[in-house]
Amino acid sequence: MKNTTQDLSVHYFSHPDSSTTGEDTLRLIAGLPAPAGLEDRVQAGLRAAPAKGRILHWPTALLPSRGLAGGWMRSAAAAAIVVVVAGGGWGIYSRVQPSQPARVVVMPPRVGTGGGFSNAGAMRTPQTLNGPVLLHSAPAKPAQAKTPVRTAKTPLHREQASGKAAVQPVAPLAR
Amino acid sequence: MSTSQAVFSGWMKISESAVDELDRQHAEEAALAALVSQYAGTLYRVAFSVMRNASDAEDAVQEAFMRVLQHRDMLGEVRNQRVWLIRIVWNIVLDRKRRAKTRPETDDVAELARVLPCKGLSAEEIASASQHHAHVLACVEQLPPKEREVLMLSAFEELTSVEIATVLGITESSVRSRLFRARNLMAGLLHHARS
Repeated sequence: MKNTTQDLSVHYFSHPDSSTTGEDTLRLIAGLPAPAGLEDRVQAGLRAAPAKGRILHWPTALLPSRGLAGGWMRSAAAAAIVVVVAGGGWGIYSRVQPSQPARVVVMPPRVGTGGGFSNAGAMRTPQTLNGPVLLHSAPAKPAQAKTPVRTAKTPLHREQASGKAAVQPVAPLAR
Repeated sequence: MSTSQAVFSGWMKISESAVDELDRQHAEEAALAALVSQYAGTLYRVAFSVMRNASDAEDAVQEAFMRVLQHRDMLGEVRNQRVWLIRIVWNIVLDRKRRAKTRPETDDVAELARVLPCKGLSAEEIASASQHHAHVLACVEQLPPKEREVLMLSAFEELTSVEIATVLGITESSVRSRLFRARNLMAGLLHHARS
């Protein structure tokens, strides 16, 4: 291999125009020899790699070379495994109590508001606008104090329209 | 045959295969060792052509054989083990190269001057050759990925176009057309640089 690469290198210098596509360089690199001891290092790395999962083997006493006895022992072992597994399952099933149905829990009425704010029995009174202030009312006067005398020039319907008829007692007219 | 005997006859078959498990494991280990001794060098050169770093290439070879160890059950089904191994290491190095894109590139000129054979050459010729190789490799890096892969694999004289097609998972005609385009592009790039 070394001779080949050396020949290629010398070939490049003897014919420099032959490298129009640069493939001589790639061939030179492709022809490099592997470093010494590469195989040993790879082998060592493979040996140090974690082994694949192994299959559990039957004990020697259960190998088929033992003949019929081995078969009976194997069946007995299988039956024992089945009994142990089934018994264990039944034991767990029988010990576990079935879950009780959910009961309705009556919540006590709330006393106050825990952690919250309370109004302490106060009633909220909305703020309203101040109403008109009433002055001292004038003393009531007799109704017949001043009654306008109806004349012929002021007809009745005009007086009613101007509001004067409301305060006019009806009784004198009836008289 | 009673029912119990019929049931446990299958168990007996399993136990017989379990007895042979150890022998089968030894046989797989021997086959793997043979693969290592036969193809480690080839895989190293394939890895080095992409990584251009001796330790990275060796790590890639190690990882490739670790993958083979993990799937050693498939060894019997592989028709062409050499191409299968090259495909494994090719995928590994491409993946590593892609991940290493964020890291700064190594000094290819110094690495090539150290690695490439230079027996019988003067110091000036060695420096010139290293610069030329570095320039060619820089042009190779400018190629489209598909053409670059074909061109790099075609440099391995032990790989035929059919095997290159198998490694890349393409048809042989695609290999030829890509190689043609890659050579034209490389010639153009190198001519442009010289002019």
